[in-house]
Amino acid sequence: MSINIWIVVAGDPAVGNLIDTARSLGGQVCAAVVGSRVVADTVAAGGVDKVVWFGEPGKAPVEAFATAAADVIEATPGVVLGASRASDRVLLGAVAARLQAPVLTAPSSVSAEGDTLVVTRSIFSGIAEETVTVSGPVAVVLDGGPIPVANPAGGSALMEEVSAVTLGMTVVETHSSDFEQVDLGAAPRVVGIGRGLKAPGDLAMIEALAKASRSEVACSRPLAEGLDWLHKDRYIGVSGQHIAPEVYFAIGISGQLQHMVGVRGATTIVAINSDPNALVFTEADYCLVGDLYSIVPALTDALR
Amino acid sequence: MKIVVAYKWAPNPQDASVGVDGAVDWSRAKPGISEYDPVAIELARRLAEATGGEVIALTAGPKSVDASMARKAALSRGFDRAVIVADDALEGAGTTELAAVLAAAVRHIGDVDVVITGDSSVDVGAKMVPTVLAGQLGWPAVAEVTAVSGSDPAAGLLRVERAITGGTQVLEITGPAVLAASTDAAVPRVPGMRDILAAGKKPVETLEVPALDVPASGTTVTVTATARPDLKARKGQLIDTADPAAAAAELVAALRADGAI
Ligand SMILES: Cc1cc2nc3c(=O)[nH]c(=O)nc-3n(C[C@H](O)[C@H](O)[C@H](O)COP(=O)(O)OP(=O)(O)OC[C@H]3O[C@@H](n4cnc5c(N)ncnc54)[C@H](O)[C@@H]3O)c2cc1C
Repeated sequence: MSINIWIVVAGDPAVGNLIDTARSLGGQVCAAVVGSRVVADTVAAGGVDKVVWFGEPGKAPVEAFATAAADVIEATPGVVLGASRASDRVLLGAVAARLQAPVLTAPSSVSAEGDTLVVTRSIFSGIAEETVTVSGPVAVVLDGGPIPVANPAGGSALMEEVSAVTLGMTVVETHSSDFEQVDLGAAPRVVGIGRGLKAPGDLAMIEALAKASRSEVACSRPLAEGLDWLHKDRYIGVSGQHIAPEVYFAIGISGQLQHMVGVRGATTIVAINSDPNALVFTEADYCLVGDLYSIVPALTDALR
Repeated sequence: MKIVVAYKWAPNPQDASVGVDGAVDWSRAKPGISEYDPVAIELARRLAEATGGEVIALTAGPKSVDASMARKAALSRGFDRAVIVADDALEGAGTTELAAVLAAAVRHIGDVDVVITGDSSVDVGAKMVPTVLAGQLGWPAVAEVTAVSGSDPAAGLLRVERAITGGTQVLEITGPAVLAASTDAAVPRVPGMRDILAAGKKPVETLEVPALDVPASGTTVTVTATARPDLKARKGQLIDTADPAAAAAELVAALRADGAI
């Protein structure tokens, strides 16, 4: 591709997938990096040709640099890639607006044919796929991927520091809570629990099943957002994690599209639900109609 | 304060059917106020109650977004008035185009202090309209917002709390700004009979796209193929649960036979 390829980085260097995708298009790859110098250095060593860095952010949140990022990219517009995280979306949105560039989400493949970009992507929560060809500036939202590994041969991209006029935003408080990080994507078996669970204390029963089946515990979105029984990292679906374990146990989960799209790659799906008409049964290999409170302990015993 | 809530009148893809060629048929999917938008409306009402001011409903889409049922569904949720951009040219409009139209409508409303949106729309679900909207206006944007208050409303200062990985953060923002609510930022009030009756009397301004100053995009996007995703065939094997222990044993045996555990 002879047109410019940009990636936007919003304080989080976990952009390995953006760099790989940008590289695969075969042009010059520039990164507009908001965040600390450490982040800029990580990206610079991770396989891009050039980094534009906006300086230490101080008390300004990443989002305060949205206009500055748009200013820089507007000078040499092209294909702009950003991660699907909240702050990354803000930067990418500002760039897309400035370029009046369409935004494409959920791509399964991004490639270049001459100067046109060809994107195949999932649409409407995964009920269909479309392939589009794009000519002109465009913004693409992808999974950020891991932190890029530094080029073993050493060497780093050219870094240009630009001074930025920031938007009027200041971080006045940050509270962090401890949570156990989990890589659901790597788990061979996952026990997913939904609103069929009546009380947070009952999670012990689910954890016992997870232990007996050597699984990780995951959930539907309402359990992580709203009920707050599990960390947001653990919910599965269109806006959460996409996983493809050997076995997924969907327990007390109705099986709506927005959840199931995240587990469609599972080799085997087991569904436990008291409602014989629950949608989850239409996408399950083994269907157990009944009360999870009697089936889960029995299953845990059988696995021990 | 002048608070705008940008909401969407949209169907759930769960209720759509998809042909083998990937063509999406929405005819049996009934549109509604998009699932998470009532959360944004609730945040806006709380802010208006605390600071004084009005809450204005804003939406853009094809003519159907201005149907009387659609208007009522929105206005019964506690808005003071509505601005509706209803134009069939917006059928299937992309994120950037919709955001550009919404931005033009926000400029048309004038003197807006804050625009609040839901987390994502039920149909497209890109989570990008609020951020592109902010970009069009040159305003700050924050997503995953869990609370908002006017720390000094007269000076246009907003105190915004948002969820970050493993915690929360409080920001002070010089407005105007665009805020996308997290799905659990507030529990929306359910409209009662009185709200539904009052909805019919609220002022509504309906606009078409040519009445607004909307920038054009120089990019062309051409759909060259559509497809229905290849779903794995599932066994759908029913296991009798009359005796939970026997059901568990049967499941474990089946999973072992499959080499799954
Ligand atoms: C834009 C958008 C994005 C979304 N993204 C996601 C996402 O990424 N992930 C996600 O999960 N959701 C997502 N959702 C929400 C999704 O549409 C569903 O609302 C949600 O997945 C439902 O969660 P659930 O199945 O736990 O709850 P419910 O739908 O309430 O289902 C609970 C189930 O438990 C069963 N049950 C009750 N008691 C028992 C019992 N004792 N024993 C056995 N079964 C029992 C019930 O029969 C029912 O089927 C999204 C929605 C929108 C609009």
